[in-house]
Amino acid sequence: MSQPVPVIHLENVTKRYPLSDGEFYQSLNGITLSIHTGEFVAIMGPSGSGKSTTMHIIGALDTPTTGKYLLKGKDISSYTDDQLAEIRNQEIGFVFQSFNLLSRTTVLKNVERPMMYAGIPQEERTKRAMAALELVRISEKANNLSNRISGGQIQRVAIARAIVMNPSIILADEPTGNLDTKTSHEIMTYFQNLNKEGKTIVIITHEEEIAQFAKRIIKIVDGKIVSDKKK
Amino acid sequence: MEYKEIISSALQALRRNILRTSLTMLGIIIGITSVILIVSIGKGAVAFITNELSSFGTDYFQINPGNSTFSSLAGTNTLTLDDVEAIREDSSLTNIKRVAPMALSNSIVTANDIKKSVSITGITSEMQEILRPDILYGEFFNEDHDRSAERVALLGVDVAEDFFGEETDPTGETIRIKDSTFRVIGVTESSSALAGSVLNNAVYVPINVAFNEIIGEERIQEIDVSVHDTEQINQTIEDVELLLRDRHDLDEGDESDFQIQSAQDILTTVQTITGLLTTMIAAISGISLLVGGVGVMNIMLVSVTERTKEIGLLKAVGAKEKDILTQFLVEAVVMSLSGGIVGIILGVGGAFLVSLVANIPFVIDIVAIIIAVGVSTLVGIVFGLYPARRAARLSPIEALRYE
Repeated sequence: MSQPVPVIHLENVTKRYPLSDGEFYQSLNGITLSIHTGEFVAIMGPSGSGKSTTMHIIGALDTPTTGKYLLKGKDISSYTDDQLAEIRNQEIGFVFQSFNLLSRTTVLKNVERPMMYAGIPQEERTKRAMAALELVRISEKANNLSNRISGGQIQRVAIARAIVMNPSIILADEPTGNLDTKTSHEIMTYFQNLNKEGKTIVIITHEEEIAQFAKRIIKIVDGKIVSDKKK
Repeated sequence: MEYKEIISSALQALRRNILRTSLTMLGIIIGITSVILIVSIGKGAVAFITNELSSFGTDYFQINPGNSTFSSLAGTNTLTLDDVEAIREDSSLTNIKRVAPMALSNSIVTANDIKKSVSITGITSEMQEILRPDILYGEFFNEDHDRSAERVALLGVDVAEDFFGEETDPTGETIRIKDSTFRVIGVTESSSALAGSVLNNAVYVPINVAFNEIIGEERIQEIDVSVHDTEQINQTIEDVELLLRDRHDLDEGDESDFQIQSAQDILTTVQTITGLLTTMIAAISGISLLVGGVGVMNIMLVSVTERTKEIGLLKAVGAKEKDILTQFLVEAVVMSLSGGIVGIILGVGGAFLVSLVANIPFVIDIVAIIIAVGVSTLVGIVFGLYPARRAARLSPIEALRYE
């Protein structure tokens, strides 16, 4: 029986950045990693460990210097900027730590934005955005301006936006970094619920407590995976 | 991406910093306002002058002494009453209707114990046909006045009021010009806004009397010739020129000692000069559009820097280079086009006010407005392109990391 194709497969991925003095900074030192559909993974590591670079590559925001990145079996390592934009639009839902929403724009319009880039008609955009907001129980704020809602509410709207295109992965970079403990737990519970519904979730965090919400914890130090444990 | 959505998001971005947006638009507003204003005033002035000159008709031409426009004023004396008579009597010049000579001078006039320096114009009865004045009191000169040496005078309405008061008929009264006494036979008024101030401020006397009693010599400043058929006017001008050159013993190659201009020539000259001036001033005003464009570029660059994180976020959720490029370009165009529209409104309003104050026709040049809309859109595109490309090419990671 053949193994199912992993949704994310990194194979010996390295990344190095040129520095201003002509030297290079090696951020990733050969990462090999597979994540399958329905997994809930936390990637942990101290600052400078390469966890953010890993997230950028998984999120198609950047490409590896060497190695391969197969997304649903397709090698996207050498995609052009516009092809990567399309991958981000269709396959990846982002939740960032801060600056998640366009300020002075309504919650609804923020959630509709990825669908606008995908060319989905207005009527369907509104329908799908409202359904996503419903799922994170914030549809009553749909017409509020995004700078008029609380931090926890902002993250819930960001989650709604992340799921609205029905992507293969939801990628969250320190999603609770700016929240108090109670709200953090509430947000993580939303991620758990989405995972129960079959969504693949990858969270980048440096907080052990947050990582515990995931089913698999990968630790990166100096650009290498040092542990990969499933609960 | 839909344009309705893009435009509404551009308006939102511009409203975010309304003062800055307004100040940036100011350059475009000033540029477009001044171009529209100047073109409208220019066109209004041409319409005004055309109306004025047309009110005298285009069925005549004028002959002036000397070989430049200013010679007649400088006292050049190359046209005589014999020339006038020769043109009148030449049986081959069948197109000629009337020949009216004119002599100008200034003299002290006394009447009713009032003493004033007034412009004295020597004319013949034929001038009535050319100047087409209204006769307020009395009568115009007739052929008897042309022939006799009787000292009679016609007063322009302003002169009549100066000496005899408003709405008083001075017919039959006497005035003194230099040392001679003249009998007033009528009062004339020209309704021309352009020439009225001159024509209504003169005293008219028969040309022979002017030469003998006032000027002291035969000196003609202008001969006005009216024709039957305006279509044939150029041929008639050529014939008169040949006749005068022959009479003045000029050989082939010699420069004429007189000038002939048709009313149509004068009209064309005035229109050309005004058109040229309008274009020139409008072009100079256009420079402020360029300055406005640089302002738009500057603010768009600032805006791209300020919104780097936003660009990163949009790229993360799937915006392609062309989506970001379009968004910023539309913002620049909306800004400069709004400036253009405000400029058009102010320009048209200003032109309307000027037309009221200066009493010239209110002319709106649709072509100028279309060009203004086009130019302000173009300014937005040209000066918005560089900042928009910069935004579009930002790397999503760099943009997201930007602090």
